[in-house]
Amino acid sequence: MLENNKQVILEAINLTKKYDDGVVALDNLNFQICNNEIFAMLGGNGAGKTTTINIFLNLLEPTSGDAKVCGVSSHIEPLTVKQNLAYVSENVMLYPNFTALQNLDFFTQLGGRLDVSKDEYREVLMRVGLAEQVHNKKLKSFSKGMRQKCGIAIAILKDTKAILFDEPTSGLDPKAGYEFIRLLNDLKDEGKAVLMSTHDIFRAKEAADTIAIMNEGKFLMKEKASTLFDKDLESLYMQYMAVHGLKPTTEGV
Amino acid sequence: MLNILIQKELKSIIVSNKFIVTFVICSILLIMSVLIGINEYKQAVTQYETVHQMADERIQQVSSWHSVSYREHRKPSPLMIFTSGLSYDIGRWSDINSRSTVKLKNSIYSDDPIFAVFRIIDFTFIVQIIFSLLAILFTFDAVNGEKEQGTLRLIFSNAVPRTKYILAKCIGTWLGLLIPILIPILLSVLIVMLFQIQFSSQEWIRLAILIFISILYTSIFVVFGVFMSTMSRSSNVSFLLSLVFWITFVLILPRGGVMASGNIVSVPRIAEVEGLKVSYAKNKWEEYYKNMNDIFADSRNNNTEEDEDISDDMMWANMKAQDSLRKEVTRDIEGNEATLLEDWENKRKAQQHLGFMLSRISPAAVFQLAAMSLSYTDIDLKSSYESALRNYRIEFNKYIDKKSENAGPGAGSIMITMDSDKGMDLKVGRDNAIDVSDRPKFTHPKVQLGKILPDVLINISILLLMFTSLLGGAYYSFLKFDLR
Repeated sequence: MLENNKQVILEAINLTKKYDDGVVALDNLNFQICNNEIFAMLGGNGAGKTTTINIFLNLLEPTSGDAKVCGVSSHIEPLTVKQNLAYVSENVMLYPNFTALQNLDFFTQLGGRLDVSKDEYREVLMRVGLAEQVHNKKLKSFSKGMRQKCGIAIAILKDTKAILFDEPTSGLDPKAGYEFIRLLNDLKDEGKAVLMSTHDIFRAKEAADTIAIMNEGKFLMKEKASTLFDKDLESLYMQYMAVHGLKPTTEGV
Repeated sequence: MLNILIQKELKSIIVSNKFIVTFVICSILLIMSVLIGINEYKQAVTQYETVHQMADERIQQVSSWHSVSYREHRKPSPLMIFTSGLSYDIGRWSDINSRSTVKLKNSIYSDDPIFAVFRIIDFTFIVQIIFSLLAILFTFDAVNGEKEQGTLRLIFSNAVPRTKYILAKCIGTWLGLLIPILIPILLSVLIVMLFQIQFSSQEWIRLAILIFISILYTSIFVVFGVFMSTMSRSSNVSFLLSLVFWITFVLILPRGGVMASGNIVSVPRIAEVEGLKVSYAKNKWEEYYKNMNDIFADSRNNNTEEDEDISDDMMWANMKAQDSLRKEVTRDIEGNEATLLEDWENKRKAQQHLGFMLSRISPAAVFQLAAMSLSYTDIDLKSSYESALRNYRIEFNKYIDKKSENAGPGAGSIMITMDSDKGMDLKVGRDNAIDVSDRPKFTHPKVQLGKILPDVLINISILLLMFTSLLGGAYYSFLKFDLR
């Protein structure tokens, strides 16, 4: 049963992906993410985190099962699904010869919003932490953190019900990491459903409502962050990995 | 959506260095080539007019109808400024008289072979080689470059249909390339107008079609580059693939087609035909002399001193027989010559037809054939001029014969006549110049646009077919392209 005003936005139903070479990337994955909720997938490389995101984005087709956004299947009606999805990649790459504003303008229009004013662009850029003097600078002069902020600004401007973050804090300095978590919480408060894949145990614990530890396309553990609050997530992560004979990735530890 | 994607493509090209570099390269090359073309054309016109005037003056100084000869020159076409084609390779004049046959002699390249070493760079060459290469450089990483850059995932995280994306890639890049090439083209046309080069309305239409075909040809390489960029995940691989295909289709296949046709349809060299002609003529004349010797030997054997009247009759009969046999041999030799030439011409045409047909697998060959045909500097230029000159020679010789006949014996020369009754007579003709002002004038062959239009339309259709096939290929390949 869902709480009042809660609505399932992102949903994986028996999601399975097998590649032609027999590798199972996702094995009967099930989860639901509601509005005002952050779901973090923790796991090493090749655990299936990015594959899950790719299926939601219809960059990959599932072998079986379904990935739904607002009840719509991502591989049956991908264009409808994408209207409700924003995506921020691990290493946000935008057009290096365009300024931050030009990049924002292009991707916002592509996202279907044609009515956004320059002031609004500037406002969002300021909100994500990009000072006014860099708004008209070409992206090729931006650091990874600054590009990440631009990517988040694009996701904010698209104004969708769900946002997918693929390793968003990878390579960010602590200050930028902190600012990101603050932004993530703001987005959650605005009612977004957030699916985040990460190696970063601390950031996951800090921001997520639900945390899942993933390996070989399966959730080894899926718990409400509130239930994990008093536990040492790091130990839990190590423990799960050890039980399954795996070498954990401990970025951010 | 399509509009947004096209605008982005266009904007990203315009702000890039390659746009400026392309614009500068195209402007310098096109303007230089047109200025050189104008200079060459003006020189050719001046030479044509001067030599024509000299030929007119020379013919007016001739005092004998028998020695009248005229030198007719090929008129340069203003479209050679854009497509020099074969105009530098084909001879520029031919003597018109009763003694020598029509043959265009002294081409620009035979006079100045240095220009043949590094041939003149004209508009057609720039489009064929430079524009096609630039189009590939603009597009070889159109799709996989975005993937490598990381923007492709972000684009397709939005509700963007693949069809619109690939169409926008093609249209946007095409527009981005069109600007730096079309402006210099228009500048070139403006320069031609500023230099007051006289173009007829038909020539303007031809030039407009030539520009259209140039853009169509360049578009093929734009789509081809996009296609290649969807074939491989790596832009390095697509660049190498594009380059290999470009070399094959632009540099090798046009020549390959002609070489293959040379092996399939064997055409003897003109020297061999000449050899066959001479050998046939030699045999015929030997046969003739043998026959004549036999006739004279017979008549000598039958002739007796007492029978002098009969002997005279026999001599006249022998002379008549000799004359008739000589005429027959001459006719026979001429007939054989005509047959050999016709056979050679037919084989040459078959080889040419096959060669061009095979070459048309290459867009570069299709473009070049269309451009030369439009500019009237194609392979038919020589044959059509020589054919017109041959017709003119017949007309000219008839005129001379008529004038010569009307002028009476001598007709300005020394005439020796021998008559069995009157004996030998010698007459000297007039020593003043003869009036040739009413001689027939040569009409320069002009190929009407309507006549070449079917051929041009075929070439345009082939280019359109190539364009749509490559566009379809790019679309189909992109449908399977891994966007991750």
